[in-house]
Amino acid sequence: MIFLCAGERSERTFDALLLLAVQLDRAGYAVGIDASFLPDDAPRYQKFEAAMYLCDAADVTPAIILMIGADSIADDVKLALRALPGTADTAVYGLGRFATHQMLLSAQNTLAYAVGRDVEVIDLTLWQGDTSLIEDSILPLVTSILPSPNPSRTQRPKVLVYAPHDSLQQDAVLPELLAMSHSGAFDLQIVTSGQGKDFIRRSSYAYLSVFGYSELPPSGLLSYADIVAFFGPNVPGARMAQLAMEAMGAGKVVIDCTEDSSFIDAGAPLLDGPASLLSFASYLEGVVLPHRAEIGRRIQQSPWLAKFDLAHLERQIGLTRPAAAPAPASKTGSTLFFPTNGSGLGHAQRCALIAAEVSPDHSTRFAAFPSCVDMLKNRGFDCLPMVQRSEEFAEEFANDLVNYRRLSSLMAPGDQLVFDGGYVFDSIYRVISASQTPAIWIRRGLWQAGQIHPNALEREHIFSKVIVPTEAFEELNAVYSRGEQVHHVGPVVNTTTSDTDRATLRARLSALFERPFETLVVSMLGGGVASDRSVQTQMLCSTLERRSDCLHLVVAWPNAVVPDGYYGWKNTRVVQTQNTLDLCRAADLTVSAAGYNSFHELLYAAVPTLFIPQSAPYLDDQERRARAASERGLAGLVLESELMSLGREVNAVLDGGKAAEFAAAHTEITLPDIGNKAAAALIETGAGQ
Amino acid sequence: MKRSTRPSIAYVLDPRFPGGTSSAVAAELDVVAPLGHVAVHGLSSAMFKGQIAAPQLQETLTRLDLALIWDAKEIAADIVIFHNPSCLRFQQELDVKIITPHLVVVAHENFLRPGGAEAFDVATCLGMIEQSSFASKRTLAPISAWNRKTIAQWQETQKALDRWSVLDVDWFNICDFPLVEPVAAPKDRRGRHSRPGLEKFPQQQVMEQCFPAHAEANILLGADAFVNDPQTPAHWELYPFRSISVEAYFEMIDFMIYFTAPTFRESYGRVLAEAVAAGKLTISDPETASAFGGAVQAASPEEVDGIIQSCIADPSTYRAKISAAQRALEQFSPSAFATRFTTIFATEMSMGK
Repeated sequence: MIFLCAGERSERTFDALLLLAVQLDRAGYAVGIDASFLPDDAPRYQKFEAAMYLCDAADVTPAIILMIGADSIADDVKLALRALPGTADTAVYGLGRFATHQMLLSAQNTLAYAVGRDVEVIDLTLWQGDTSLIEDSILPLVTSILPSPNPSRTQRPKVLVYAPHDSLQQDAVLPELLAMSHSGAFDLQIVTSGQGKDFIRRSSYAYLSVFGYSELPPSGLLSYADIVAFFGPNVPGARMAQLAMEAMGAGKVVIDCTEDSSFIDAGAPLLDGPASLLSFASYLEGVVLPHRAEIGRRIQQSPWLAKFDLAHLERQIGLTRPAAAPAPASKTGSTLFFPTNGSGLGHAQRCALIAAEVSPDHSTRFAAFPSCVDMLKNRGFDCLPMVQRSEEFAEEFANDLVNYRRLSSLMAPGDQLVFDGGYVFDSIYRVISASQTPAIWIRRGLWQAGQIHPNALEREHIFSKVIVPTEAFEELNAVYSRGEQVHHVGPVVNTTTSDTDRATLRARLSALFERPFETLVVSMLGGGVASDRSVQTQMLCSTLERRSDCLHLVVAWPNAVVPDGYYGWKNTRVVQTQNTLDLCRAADLTVSAAGYNSFHELLYAAVPTLFIPQSAPYLDDQERRARAASERGLAGLVLESELMSLGREVNAVLDGGKAAEFAAAHTEITLPDIGNKAAAALIETGAGQ
Repeated sequence: MKRSTRPSIAYVLDPRFPGGTSSAVAAELDVVAPLGHVAVHGLSSAMFKGQIAAPQLQETLTRLDLALIWDAKEIAADIVIFHNPSCLRFQQELDVKIITPHLVVVAHENFLRPGGAEAFDVATCLGMIEQSSFASKRTLAPISAWNRKTIAQWQETQKALDRWSVLDVDWFNICDFPLVEPVAAPKDRRGRHSRPGLEKFPQQQVMEQCFPAHAEANILLGADAFVNDPQTPAHWELYPFRSISVEAYFEMIDFMIYFTAPTFRESYGRVLAEAVAAGKLTISDPETASAFGGAVQAASPEEVDGIIQSCIADPSTYRAKISAAQRALEQFSPSAFATRFTTIFATEMSMGK
């Protein structure tokens, strides 16, 4: 392991450590960053990037210790160096830029005194020269230089434009960017500051594809670029300088559109582009695109760039680059499903239905939150537990940091990731972006009005396929994004039931609960996480208690917390099971929430149902879904505010002939084909197809 | 008017060196001042920008009625003694003309660290002095055997040093401390005293070995770096540099234990001689101890406990060791230095003619 530390502790130096760690990691080295350098107030992006590298000095025995910024070593760092990990054989190197030989010796002595053994200090100016893209940076600013440009994986070149907030505010810039985003000649992505991104999101151009410049490491951003252009007054900091270096090393076209031509002034072999974004599209199409490959090649072969080759550093500290991992034997590796769990098991169940249709020749496995693990294992899938968000963690995203590490370790070259959820977590976003993992997003629709905004879709671009399991009723299928990557499939529905007929099922239930019944009612109103339905359940218990021949089964998921009050009723029993469909088939009435899965299960099974929609702001629009069925006469609808009508509606189904009306309506309607197999086929053909 | 036969002697140094160099020069001036016309030239080197002259040196100058001449453009004398060239390490030029038949540069600092790495940019420092001086002879004067060894090793790698000769006797530090009787019965009261730089401290394991929890007292003067370190053992009593007087520090200990970072070695280490004179049994590594002609007991850190325990068990041995050590300091006395200086001056001046 190469153990990285720095001459001082600050957000700036920690960022430099991260950028170097990524460079070394991508070159194949095992890298660790001394965790004591993580700033107390490190921003979220630094914590995510650091998650793969942080380690405590006491826990590691590195082969090499590498200090950056050795030209300025703070007193607290000197003291900490006395406890550096490793043995007497662990080589210690300091990296810095030294104006004089004495400065180098001073750094060397400081390190040697603190560490207690000889160290080697390396002067970056020896091969990089005195000029640097960024002033006073401790970032070594090195990059791997590929032998030749990487061919683009897309037909249209991807153009990544860095523009600071000020540039975006200029007249006509956003309309111009919007026009560029519709160009048939290239795909546009914008990189800007958090302030700039916020400005775009609040504007009429909110659907522009924008990255915050710290949202992904430079290598991650570079995955979305064949051409990179920098606008603004000058070189925009260490991260963007590193992005430029990596782009050049990869043989991409890099264009200096800064007002001061800062990159070019520093000697960098960038194209000299227009300082105005308004002139950029024509420059791009007229000058750059026709000669893109040759420009990239010349940049890559520039003697200036050679000075920043990571190979210099490798030679200086005696590193031998590990051989690249062999390419996967088969074109398609394993498919990892990662369903978020929201407030229940819906996403995981939907994924399981699709995964069950994937050919046995195609390897599938799951990563899921603990509440879903048993269900998935029971259905025969391997499943690694992920960590669920909790109020008990110090930070709201702490669980996602762990998940990021777990997901990263699970993914091998050739694997693809299938995510089912509404919000694309940072863990997903970063895992996919870091190594361009082929990825598919299963994204059901019927969002509530407040959920439809650009932020919800801004990470869609990392997925090469979006599978939209549609709703059974056409008016519910709004289109949130378009493009060849978006695939609509029929409703994903569980239609699997036991072979047992209804009468036998009822007889078994009667025996199980040791009570004869004529009327069976099943209620499935959720565990109370999204919407508290305990009052409605109690009302059902009370209504059904008056019947002498009734068995009322309250369905709760295994491990769900069941209110004590459910147990006090003569006719009511609590059943903890995942196999609800057989129960519902056997019932005279099911009272259910209107989540995607249960709604479509009940609908396709033509079970007499009263829907009581849940209504949390982060859920889908269950009321619209239930209303669509109700308006067609297929089921009943009782809103949260209509508690007192619940008893009437129940009795109307059980005694008043409403069940027959539902059955009749079902015979009149043709539901769309279910989409389980179509979704599975899209996954089998692969995210890259 | 008859021309004086007393030689003119010019001292050149940055008088703001806070430690041993200034103390050594102060002691030396007391000895040399009666031997000639002495002028003291202060250099405002980049190394000590913003600092003031060391108080011990200033006090001596005042007592001897010698002016401190700052940054003269020209220095001329029968012999020019440049103390500690390492003060020039952070600058690229020296704006002075030194005109003398014999320029002696007293090294003070080791040229190499243990292991052979350069201790400072010696070539640049000596190069500046060479460029600024018009001298018939330029001599490097080591201050101890170890210092001489590093100069010799460094010289082997530097052709430019052909223009410099090396004095064949040491320009030792004068030890003129008042001698204090050792205590009748020592206790396990240990201490160390140094400037606070980490080069002065061995690695933590050695520190804990030398200053263990079972000692009655562990007094660390100059331990600035450890004061706020949560890893510092609770049984260490820490004092920042100069936060208490050296006399008060010596009152608290019976044994002075002095090890440095393995990558650093004192060229002389006046603080050790001071401890001997104060009546303390003084222990250090063999190489450092070798500079003191037997006054400092050589030992490894592993041996420290045993030495202390045997002294406590047999106080007469303790007292005998310290008496012998104090007698050994005689070789660094002012009179010994006066003899050496006179001899050097006579020999070198005749050779320089």
